[in-house]
Amino acid sequence: MKTVEIKIAGKPVRARVGETVIHALWSAGQAESIKTGCVGGVCGACTITVRFPDDRLGGTDLACLCPVEEGMEVFPCSVDAVTPVIPQLDPTPEKLRTAYPTLDRCTKCGSCTTACPMTIPVMDSVLRMRSGQLETVAEDFITCIHCGLCRFVCEDRVQPHNMGMWVRRSIGASQKPIGEQTGSINWEQVEREWVYLTEGNSEQRLDHARRFRERGRIEK
Amino acid sequence: MTAWARDSLDKVEASREERLHQGAPELDEINANKLLRKFHPDYQGMERTVRIGPDASRRKFPNELADLLETDSRLPPDFEPSVDIETDVLILGGGGAGASAALALEGVGLTVYLATKLRLGDSNTVMAEGGIQASLRPDDSPRRHFADAYVGGHGNNNPDLLRILCDNASETIRWLGQLGCIMDRNDDGTFRLRAGGGTSVPRVLACRDYTGLEIMRVLKDAVLLSKTQVLPEHAAVELLDDGKDVTGAVLWDRNRGRLITVSARAVLLATGGSGQLRLQGFPTSNHLGATGDGLVLAYRQGCGLVHPESYQYHPSGTVYPEALVGQLVTESIRSAGAQVLNAEGERFIGEMTFRDVLAAAIISEVAEKRGVLTPTHRTGVWLDTPLIDIKSGAGALHRQFPGLVHRFKRYKIDPAKQPILIYPTLHYQNGGIRIDRDGRTDTKGLWAAGEVTGGLHGTNRLMGNSLLDITVFGRRAALSIRKELPSRKAVTLSRLKKFREELKAISSRREIMSPQLFPTVANMKINFSMNNNQ
Repeated sequence: MKTVEIKIAGKPVRARVGETVIHALWSAGQAESIKTGCVGGVCGACTITVRFPDDRLGGTDLACLCPVEEGMEVFPCSVDAVTPVIPQLDPTPEKLRTAYPTLDRCTKCGSCTTACPMTIPVMDSVLRMRSGQLETVAEDFITCIHCGLCRFVCEDRVQPHNMGMWVRRSIGASQKPIGEQTGSINWEQVEREWVYLTEGNSEQRLDHARRFRERGRIEK
Repeated sequence: MTAWARDSLDKVEASREERLHQGAPELDEINANKLLRKFHPDYQGMERTVRIGPDASRRKFPNELADLLETDSRLPPDFEPSVDIETDVLILGGGGAGASAALALEGVGLTVYLATKLRLGDSNTVMAEGGIQASLRPDDSPRRHFADAYVGGHGNNNPDLLRILCDNASETIRWLGQLGCIMDRNDDGTFRLRAGGGTSVPRVLACRDYTGLEIMRVLKDAVLLSKTQVLPEHAAVELLDDGKDVTGAVLWDRNRGRLITVSARAVLLATGGSGQLRLQGFPTSNHLGATGDGLVLAYRQGCGLVHPESYQYHPSGTVYPEALVGQLVTESIRSAGAQVLNAEGERFIGEMTFRDVLAAAIISEVAEKRGVLTPTHRTGVWLDTPLIDIKSGAGALHRQFPGLVHRFKRYKIDPAKQPILIYPTLHYQNGGIRIDRDGRTDTKGLWAAGEVTGGLHGTNRLMGNSLLDITVFGRRAALSIRKELPSRKAVTLSRLKKFREELKAISSRREIMSPQLFPTVANMKINFSMNNNQ
């Protein structure tokens, strides 16, 4: 098996080619050096910064998705959650501004977009929040794992992912619940169907379930 | 990728046109059962009985779990509980079930602590991709939902629990909506419903392929805004009792190394599954903490388990590239049209059959040497993802499955253009702690909800029923706790002492201790500081 050497917070670690930083740490007995959660790129626990030995740009990443490379240096960069703000029905940019007054402090430096491991256009989305395109904002943040890196790197204390969540929850809660059963329900029939499906022993129930699922009703 | 797979990929591409309009190979129930018995990991005899506890000599457990049930606690022998935290309710576990319960306990004047081994939300919930089931179509009903899940679970489901699940689905979707969850909708504003393996009509709501993430991040946001006191990186290492009922727990504060004694009037176990036990050497789609801790803790308190032998191996775990091994590829990708093919580019089974049958079929195909071998010595079969754009138009895969695209992009693999390799991955603990209709376990004072429980899903769970399980039963257990909150009782280690006596009488694997807390492969250090209770 081919191996490479990487550094975690200055400490050299041998790693197998093809594995991620997290798995390299496990093998090296140093799992504790980077906070870890889902190991699948969706919980945002294992945020790191990476430097390459050549002239490529380094930056932020998730250790569980980041494959090892010879000479790469990794620094843990864990970000704690902050208390969010309660979402509101029928959100507007004004309501968002009241919830997150730092919205207008964005200087368009673009750090947040660069830092996002999910390639969300964070800065553009913050600008969309200011101009009121909240539906698009909700779409922008659909892949947000709330790792907090966009907030962590912001010099102006804008809290993009918290605002993204506020917008999404506010819009979500304002949507009409659709898909409820309408019209009158024949409760006698409902009860007959439940009896049909739940009576008898497990073999009979299984037989009834098999028949019922064909058309969604009791078959004669 | 994939010069190494060129020959096989050529065959896949050559057969695509013909496969587009071909029906799936038929497999009747008798042959499906034969396939399961011969190839599904649950049926390989890698299980044994245990000699102590409520299920002694009564049922079989996977060897890895049996070892954990028959070994000593991590608590130092001289540890004596002395109360550090007094609460009305203690929730153990910070995934979807624990968070749903916390929200249902809000606003009634109870003190609620939620302790989680990792951080709030780091769980299998957040990793769920495909969706959540609710019967919303005119040709569907909670009864039809029940029938599908009952057949999928091989009739081993507890009918009472399953009926509650199906009857509460649409109300739960409404609750999630009120919290601010956004599920995919059609142009006319109705929810977009997909088929899942074994659903007789489309019934699965989704938020792209990030449904669990959407639900978990909203629940987490709501919990952070609630009065719940969250204790992150506090792992439960033992339950406490008064000789009869569960009365609290001992937590390990990972950052300070301290053991903390919690006295609680009610304890809710929502510690999730056990995929990280990596049964029979399978990779897993589970998060770091899925080590079956709750099963061990409840078992020592006299709680019986239901179908602990039954696990779900998700048919589509990633096999290549190596860095993604075991990670989930959502079932919806098959419902959107991707076919499963052997190395010859042939379909060998209907992709939308039940998960256990499809997993067995894939294992069989590889065992019969019709699989594809990767440069890292793993084997798998193809998931022909380019079919999705062919069937639904260019861009469809990227729109519907951003998570899949994102994970593979780094390896210069575009699933819209080339098939990906899959093999079953250990995904879900079908069985678990026995509960009644209100989430009560066999022992008073202890409730349980979510993946840690057993009975609801029988011996094979359908897609979209676990996200529903945690939201329905997490809240239901909380309501039961509110209604019948026990009085405060003494916190002792009586049950553990008895267990240790029984343990002396048998030979067990002394080198391991339980709960396991972390995967063996992670080599994590578990040290309790000597001066406790400070």
